[in-house]
Amino acid sequence: MPDFAFVKATLPRTGVLVLPLPEGGLGGLAAEADALTGGALTRALEAAGFKGRKGQQANLYGLAPYSRILALGLGTVTEEAAEAAGGTAAAALATEREATILADGLPAAAAARLALGAKLRAWRFDRYRTTETAEDKPKLERLSIATAEATAAKQAFAPLSAVAEGVFLTRDLVSEPPNILHPISFAERCRELEKLGIEVEVLGLKELRKLNFGAMIGVAQGSQHEPRLVVMQWKGAPKARKGGVAKPICFLGKGVTFDTGGISIKPAGGMEDMKWDMAGAGAVVGAMAALAGRRARADVIGLVGLVENMPSGTAQRPGDVVTTHSGQTVEVINTDAEGRLVLADMLSYAQGRFSPRCMIDLATLTGAIIVALGHEHAGLFSNDEDLASRLQAAGASVGEKLWRMPLGDAYDKQIKSDIADMKNVGGRPGGAITAAQFLQRFVDSKVAPMPWAHLDIAGTAWSSKDQPTIPKGATAFGVRLLDRLVAEMAEG
Amino acid sequence: MLAIRFRRRGAEAACRLEPEPGLPFGQLRERPGATRRIGFGLDAAAGPRAHEQAGAAAAVALTDLREAALEAHGVGPSQAAWLAAGFALGSWRPPGAPGLTRLKRLTVLTDQPGAAEAAWAGIAPGVEGCLLARDLVSLPANQLTTRAFASRLEALAEVGIAVDVWGRKRLARAGLGALLAVGAGAGPASPPRLAILRWRGRIAAPPVAFVGKGLVFDTGGVCIKPARGMAAMRADMAGAAACVGAMLALARRQSAAPAVAVLALAENATGAASYRPGDVLRTGSGRTVEVVDTDAEGRLVLADALHQAIVGHAPRAVIDLATLTGAVVTALGHHRAGLFGNDSALMAAIAAAGEAVGEPVWPLPIGDAHRTDLRSDIADLRHCLPAAGRPLPDASHGAAFLEAFVGATPWAHLDIAGVDTQRAAHAGGPAGATGFGVRLLDRLVAQRFESEDHHPPPGASSLRAASA
Repeated sequence: MPDFAFVKATLPRTGVLVLPLPEGGLGGLAAEADALTGGALTRALEAAGFKGRKGQQANLYGLAPYSRILALGLGTVTEEAAEAAGGTAAAALATEREATILADGLPAAAAARLALGAKLRAWRFDRYRTTETAEDKPKLERLSIATAEATAAKQAFAPLSAVAEGVFLTRDLVSEPPNILHPISFAERCRELEKLGIEVEVLGLKELRKLNFGAMIGVAQGSQHEPRLVVMQWKGAPKARKGGVAKPICFLGKGVTFDTGGISIKPAGGMEDMKWDMAGAGAVVGAMAALAGRRARADVIGLVGLVENMPSGTAQRPGDVVTTHSGQTVEVINTDAEGRLVLADMLSYAQGRFSPRCMIDLATLTGAIIVALGHEHAGLFSNDEDLASRLQAAGASVGEKLWRMPLGDAYDKQIKSDIADMKNVGGRPGGAITAAQFLQRFVDSKVAPMPWAHLDIAGTAWSSKDQPTIPKGATAFGVRLLDRLVAEMAEG
Repeated sequence: MLAIRFRRRGAEAACRLEPEPGLPFGQLRERPGATRRIGFGLDAAAGPRAHEQAGAAAAVALTDLREAALEAHGVGPSQAAWLAAGFALGSWRPPGAPGLTRLKRLTVLTDQPGAAEAAWAGIAPGVEGCLLARDLVSLPANQLTTRAFASRLEALAEVGIAVDVWGRKRLARAGLGALLAVGAGAGPASPPRLAILRWRGRIAAPPVAFVGKGLVFDTGGVCIKPARGMAAMRADMAGAAACVGAMLALARRQSAAPAVAVLALAENATGAASYRPGDVLRTGSGRTVEVVDTDAEGRLVLADALHQAIVGHAPRAVIDLATLTGAVVTALGHHRAGLFGNDSALMAAIAAAGEAVGEPVWPLPIGDAHRTDLRSDIADLRHCLPAAGRPLPDASHGAAFLEAFVGATPWAHLDIAGVDTQRAAHAGGPAGATGFGVRLLDRLVAQRFESEDHHPPPGASSLRAASA
């Protein structure tokens, strides 16, 4: 990871320059650089057809006195465009040691977002590459951002940088192979958040039995690894507010560290992807780290349910009936619909113990959500209009888009069981919706409304190609969204 | 359709149907008395939709009555009309269903027969159109060939609908290569056809256009479907049937709105002349399309029908209905149709109309990734992605494909693959064809397109000026 330095707006006279440019001509330091090249920069940009359109790139070598000039189109100057340009720059500069971004045309907030974009894209998971030569590794050590408002930009970058660290934690967790990251080792990684001031409790099998987590234990019982429930609490709300009404916001994450499907085993093709069936839990852990890292002034609780879903002599069978923490019984029709079983126990436990202001669960829950929406939007299900619109707004502002999906009695009927209170699958039709209906049965709004939202991130947790601020692989979808939600909802 | 009349009293009926609060929908209770009396569940305080559902549930459960009187003195005239609508919808049975006694005549007993009659006049056309669509959808493909479908449409001339049917020559002249290709493998009974229905209306405005997918049968073509469940593919013309029913409804109630329906009729057969995966087709718009899977034929015929509807009729809005994808069933199940489009106001109006008549829809996205997924190496675009055992957002891909053929015209696409038929009795009738879409379109037109200047699309005023 390179160092990011916000420096005053003076033009370097050599080295590598990055020019984030809106449509229209060159101004400020870019114009000075052009003069220094004797107008060669302008001519080269013209020859390359570079007009400053959003997403445009021109990579120019040998314009003396510079070794390389990278021009990036912004279209119009927005924070989103700046962030994307930063990401593109980080990818393109992997072969350089140092570079200076001429951000004097950007407001401080946009300059900070540009640095955030670069940082997000510069992340790399190379823990298991033992033979890679130094030649093949990214070399970028220092990225200087030249801006007229260096102090303001640096201040704006500090919380964003903390959020990026949360994103990296999530990406690391999601990328880890399932022989390394299992429920026990995942829980140990959560413990490390204590360094940031987060209270961390780890509950093992004995405690879960005592709490009647029958559904979660059922999923875990086929694995050699015992399940873990990790409860993380960040108590950042100012003291004055704590006396009365301010209830915590609660996040819950599905953490199936590997999902074979269990006895209802999945086909072999693509099964390796199931290492990221803990991306919901990963996002919750990353969001907690982000909030603590930027000392968020809010009380937030994160719960992750960690299990491994394996077929074995002790595994749960299709046909089993389990009793959940809420007391409701579930007929397990398909052992591969295990995420909702884990979340069911967690939802009623979290509501009972913390009486939170709202509960938001994240889970790579269904393939059906990919069929419904593809990979650009995660599915949003909610019993509360206000929470749903806040989540959509937060997602839109950080590029983690949500699409609202329906709930309703007609769908709920699909999970009626002949033998128990419900079954864990409702058939292919509306498969993501019936999964959400299942979860909703563990949110108790009988006495008072309990605002709840479920984010089905199965289509967005992993990217099959590079995006401007997300290298191919684990996206950490949800971390920035949750961070923004807390900022808007509890810190405003 | 069930013959319905509204009277203050009528003692002649052999059986009286009487509301009974608290009885669950679909349950009937014989009551003691000299004449036969049957109680059915109804909460008189409930809204119109609940009245319709109560009537439909009762009528579905009635299996031994041809004629009855309905006791509706306890409900208002408008509720009485909705109750009647429910009985009309619920007493429908698939044509040719053996050994069923169905309700044929119903006398609704109400304090205000005149007012109830007037309310019924606004509802009955939609119901009649819905039942026509159900009849069409129920017919097997050897009876409802494309030729038979087209000749049934000619009967609509009686209600003032102009009917025009294009054969192969006309299709070729218009360059509708996608429709011709999809229909190429079928035998002589089911050649491809484009049927155009026009209702003049009264106002000086461009028409609203309905476009319907009318695959009288879909084997999948060369990419043949599995045998299991293939019989259901006789309903693959439910979109076209819904458009036909909606046109009938508009004509029956003398709608002021000009309307046109463009129906793409074809059979997707496996034959020596069938089109193949890998073929490149030239559509009516001039765009070329690489065929990836011959079982994604609906979007191909719709591409030509949408194009023809837009260039031929310059509509103020175009709405297509199609049993397009299995993906929409995975996404939304059997309780809502998928709604896509390029005009948020039109989409909101469609969603509201659907809720009002019990034909609910839900918006689904067309994203940039869905569009770029359709890039082809050899043609302007491909019509779907190869199935590779991974989940694909095929409903969005289908919509993104159609979007390429509509340009700037306000457009909405309803993927009705999950709601065209129901396996069990549903809120609007017995198991089988639902007629989904007819009443939605009728309501949409009534609310949005029956005045000249209501929500004019961009360019509509210049179109009117040009025609004046």
